[in-house]
Amino acid sequence: MMKGAGLCLALLVIASLAIGVEDLSLSGAGDRLPLLDLLSISRMPRTLAAVLTGAGLAVAGQIMQTLTRNRFVEPSTAGTAQSAALGILIVTLFLPSAGIGLKALVASGCALAGTALFLSTAHRLPPEQPHLVPLFGLVYGGVVGAAVTYVAWQNDLLQYLDIWMNGEFSGVLRGRYELLFFCVLLIAAALLAADRLTIMALGEGQATSLGIDYRRMTQIGLVLVSVMSALSVVVVGLVPFVGLVVPNLVSRIFGDNLRGTLPLVALCGAILVLSADIVGRLIRFPYEIPVGTVLGVVGPFVFLWLILQERRNA
Amino acid sequence: MPIRHITRRALCVAGLLLAASHALAMDVETYAGKVEIDTPPKKVAVFDIAALDTLLAIGVTPAGVPKTLYLPELAGVAEKAEIVGDIFEPDLEALSALSPDLIIVGGRSSGKEKQTSRIAPSLDMTMDGVDVIDQARRRAITYGELFGRQDAARQAVERFDSSLDRARKSVQGKGRGLIVMTNGPKVSAYGSESRFGWVHKALGLPPAVEQMQAATHGEPVSFEFIRKADPDWLLVLDRAAAIGASDQNARATLDNALVAETKAWKSGRVIYLPAADFYIAAGGLQATQRVLSAIESAFSAHP
Repeated sequence: MMKGAGLCLALLVIASLAIGVEDLSLSGAGDRLPLLDLLSISRMPRTLAAVLTGAGLAVAGQIMQTLTRNRFVEPSTAGTAQSAALGILIVTLFLPSAGIGLKALVASGCALAGTALFLSTAHRLPPEQPHLVPLFGLVYGGVVGAAVTYVAWQNDLLQYLDIWMNGEFSGVLRGRYELLFFCVLLIAAALLAADRLTIMALGEGQATSLGIDYRRMTQIGLVLVSVMSALSVVVVGLVPFVGLVVPNLVSRIFGDNLRGTLPLVALCGAILVLSADIVGRLIRFPYEIPVGTVLGVVGPFVFLWLILQERRNA
Repeated sequence: MPIRHITRRALCVAGLLLAASHALAMDVETYAGKVEIDTPPKKVAVFDIAALDTLLAIGVTPAGVPKTLYLPELAGVAEKAEIVGDIFEPDLEALSALSPDLIIVGGRSSGKEKQTSRIAPSLDMTMDGVDVIDQARRRAITYGELFGRQDAARQAVERFDSSLDRARKSVQGKGRGLIVMTNGPKVSAYGSESRFGWVHKALGLPPAVEQMQAATHGEPVSFEFIRKADPDWLLVLDRAAAIGASDQNARATLDNALVAETKAWKSGRVIYLPAADFYIAAGGLQATQRVLSAIESAFSAHP
């Protein structure tokens, strides 16, 4: 299965490198851009950004679902992404000249605080009512989102905010996405912690008796989720549903042993976002449809299907 | 009772005549259809920045204005007027405290005349973007008649037309242009049917990309698109600058290896349009004149 997914991603990468407004040309004859320049300036960065965002968000979603022990939670529905956007907004207001690095830092900090608050509350909800957690997450994300909207509205930044709230890759070029490479480190860290995360999914009591430092692991998971979400919000904007749909589909087919499934989650996340970006580039060629819009259209249907399936299995 | 009927009718007619002696009873052509205004307004609240700009051009001072006016040229106006909401949303309480005898909405407050007309006769003076230049003229003439400043309006329109003429002459035969708007790190392109299309039509500037669809908010495009279009002139609107947030400027967004390959960038033919004049106050006589002279001076600098 890993092989199949890997092959699929490889094909998508090739397609993504080939698709764009400029014509591909080997020689760079006439006024055409030489192939290598085109690839290194525009196509490679865009493709890599989509792959890294997708993998990062899917892994972040998986970790978040493990930490909350709930399948219907993901960073963009439970306040993490909204908190990150609040962070960017704060930097924009108080330090307008701040570089993207500082923005990412503050966004990560805010995402961390926002997610920690969500987690600490989610843990107090009665475990016998599993739909309470995602419901609470939606309300919480909505409240944080409303705060963001209010601040933006007060400062005439509403439409500016839309950029972060609707992820897209049209602005990605060499030199404008490299922050996402941190996602590789974070995903690697998540893979290292996969076994522990699997045990944590059993709950605090079980995990502790099996020798897991539950609190420490929660903190690590929190940092991973927050930083990955914040990075993608800073660089490409909010990309919904990846963190929700991908871990669910993977665990439905392959179970919950994260050591085996986490790499697959990352791969499938990359596949989903990259194909959504390719679709967005093609539908109205040569114009673009943001990846957030494409996923926003497809995502709810998959989400509904998942919920209905859940009921049938119950 | 026919006699009583007749007296009543006579009284009515007399009353009408009396009113007409110092009334104006004109049909104002608005975005939402014709509206009859029967007394010349003295105290006017204005929500549309373009309308505000044109009113000032013909010497009408507004009594009520929105909170943020965006154009530095309008800073003095706010000091003398009451704040009655923002450009999107009239503050009905503040409005009714001001009790103006005419309310002008439009653009971002389009459609709000239904609410404000409970307070005073209201006009929606939105310009639909198909032919901003012609509408700018017509609005100015209308305001002139409405406020009894026909001569000032005529002169303002003449000044407007002559700067339009100069801009048109400067543009002729200097190649194709592409209008883009930067919004933070992202770019949209605008064709000749868009809200900024008047630049192509009124000035005779051939578009670098034919057949771009009419999308008010432009078409999100990649930098590859701009390079492929390879315009001789790049007309840039920095949306963040238009609304006063100047942290992510357009130059930084466009300064990349792909845009650097266009004829426009190579030869320094990149025009940064006065953002608020072009974006917020489109169709205001003075604001549009400033846009025209920015275009004229940029084109004239390159023979």
